[in-house]
Amino acid sequence: MNVAVMKTKAEQAFSEAFEAAAGKLPGSAAVKARRAEAIGKFSTLGLPHRRIEEWKYTDLRANLKEALPPAIHDKTPLTIAELIVALGPLAHVDAYRVAFVNGQHRAELDDVSEAPGLDVALLGKVLDSAPEKTANRLIAAAEGEGAVAALNAAFMTDGAIVRVAEGAALAKPLLIVFVRAGAEARSVAVRNVINIGDGATATIIEAHVVLPGATPDVQVNALNEVLVGKGAGLDHAKVAVDGGKCVHLSNWGVTLGANATYRGFQFSVGLGLARNEINVVYAGEGGKLDLSGAYLARGGEHIDTTLVVDHAVPRCESRELFKGVLDGHARGVFQGKVIVRPDAQKSDGKQMSQALMLSEDAEFDSKPELEIFADDVVCGHGTTSAQLDPDLLFYCRSRGIPEDEARALMIESFIGEALDKVEHAEIRTALQSYATSWLAGSVRAVRT
Amino acid sequence: MLEIKNLHVKLADEDRVILKGLSLEVPKGEVHAIMGPNGSGKSTLAYVLAGRDGYEVTEGDILWNGESILDMEPDVRAAKGVFLAFQYPMEIPGVAGLTFLRTALNALKKKRGEKELTTPAFMKLVKEKGNKLNIDVEMLKRPVNVGFSGGEKKRSEILQMALLEPTLCVLDETDSGLDIDALRIVADGVNALRSKDRAFLVITHYQRLLNYIVPDKVHVLADGRIQKTGGKELALELEKSGYAGYSGKAA
Repeated sequence: MNVAVMKTKAEQAFSEAFEAAAGKLPGSAAVKARRAEAIGKFSTLGLPHRRIEEWKYTDLRANLKEALPPAIHDKTPLTIAELIVALGPLAHVDAYRVAFVNGQHRAELDDVSEAPGLDVALLGKVLDSAPEKTANRLIAAAEGEGAVAALNAAFMTDGAIVRVAEGAALAKPLLIVFVRAGAEARSVAVRNVINIGDGATATIIEAHVVLPGATPDVQVNALNEVLVGKGAGLDHAKVAVDGGKCVHLSNWGVTLGANATYRGFQFSVGLGLARNEINVVYAGEGGKLDLSGAYLARGGEHIDTTLVVDHAVPRCESRELFKGVLDGHARGVFQGKVIVRPDAQKSDGKQMSQALMLSEDAEFDSKPELEIFADDVVCGHGTTSAQLDPDLLFYCRSRGIPEDEARALMIESFIGEALDKVEHAEIRTALQSYATSWLAGSVRAVRT
Repeated sequence: MLEIKNLHVKLADEDRVILKGLSLEVPKGEVHAIMGPNGSGKSTLAYVLAGRDGYEVTEGDILWNGESILDMEPDVRAAKGVFLAFQYPMEIPGVAGLTFLRTALNALKKKRGEKELTTPAFMKLVKEKGNKLNIDVEMLKRPVNVGFSGGEKKRSEILQMALLEPTLCVLDETDSGLDIDALRIVADGVNALRSKDRAFLVITHYQRLLNYIVPDKVHVLADGRIQKTGGKELALELEKSGYAGYSGKAA
């Protein structure tokens, strides 16, 4: 018997929004055709829900109640001074910069002059003139992937297409910043394509920030395709701090060339509902992956980290360390799948996911999965959830440190281990600073 | 002056009574030792003085400078000058020793209405106090007590004491786990802090420590009460005869 699945209000709204927006979204005829296919695919799949194993703990169908109208060719004004306010602690990182406001590139906020080895093109422009082959390649990420990637393909407006030349070493980090500003509730879909040439090294930050006073209602769908060339190295950090009602859907697809090194870090603070997906595939032997992250959530916030690391070839190394601090009735989700293919001998994988529970009502769902088909491998995983150690708190307090400060010190020490994975000192300091401000709020919240 | 008056303490979660009417006075400028067999209530006394959770005072009082401290939170007691050197100092992974010391020192200064120290002034102070205890500042860049040997942990406790300048110092089995050289360093650190404005309560199982930190008085604690009080010679006597003559368990 065929049962027509009822579409939710939000699913219906996404399809309608596409109908309304299709003519205005950037793109050549070829791109437009592929976008229509993508929304068709979304329409078939619907929003992912809890009966799909990968979405068991993050039921998007139940949680995404409505589809906000997409921001297209947004013209909300933003000055450099406002950008700096929105960046907060990240403004202190000396970096090249490409800036987007509500999903639209703003050349006047960029700073990529004198950046030898770095080439940045803009997705919006590329889409507008894309011949069929380019359109196919750009939208290919939606093929074979889920509904969220299909939505991204249908609605994406802009993003950075970054190329670091073979053998180049970027002198400064590149900051790709997405700012949201303005009073209108909207959805934003952006995509970056990052290609690190063979033997090159770079540090790239993807930041999602908010101008104080902007509407808290926003849906962000950000997709990154990352290719790290042979023997190349990329330090890649995502900082998402764009507000307590924000729905943040993020997707990193990373391919590592032979002997490439990738150090990824994801930092999420104060997001209403976040799904951070990371998929890593080794394309050549000797690849090294170090993925880590820290997230801080309170109230009814929900932060999901879902990884798939695919040891497709022999002699690759993977390390994962994720730490979450959960207060109120916040929920942390960690799903970490490591696949070791039959030929991928000498694979070396270690995974750890830890949560610090600050309240009785917080929830942590952790699901490590190892799928090992080779026999000569070293793989391990662990997960813990714990409360603040009362003995340690007493020790601090007996030295005169008030309870609030002692708690903050303990929490900082907990996530410090993850933050220490960020090698760039200025970036690490900025993240610590975000954490400290969050803690100041949390500690107050705990007391009342 | 520290005045402990008829102190009765039980564990909060169990019916077990540990201190059964302990009375004691330690005037400023004096060092008193408390000796006693295992299980006599020595560590309980130390924790109750510092304000740890898990104990219930059912009777009696503790006054410091004429003021009852029983209702004070541990950090408030610290601001009033109370300091406990732990028998087992805690490790705090992820918090650098220097950060910890500075946070504690500035918190105390704030509570006492004093000005917080600048970074250079703080570093100078730590170096100076650390040198005396044979503690290298490099060691304090590492997380608090993590990977420290027993002796290093005890020296780090005494360094905290030297920096925070408490007026009531309670040392809980500071000699346990120390070799003779470490013991001497720790004792020198304590002796350097002896002054007319400071009272010490040194809790120990063995007489050995008291060769280096010579007490003004020795109290024998057994079965939750002070059983005998005497001069420093009482410690030597105990070393010979043991605790068998006192009620409570034999040593």
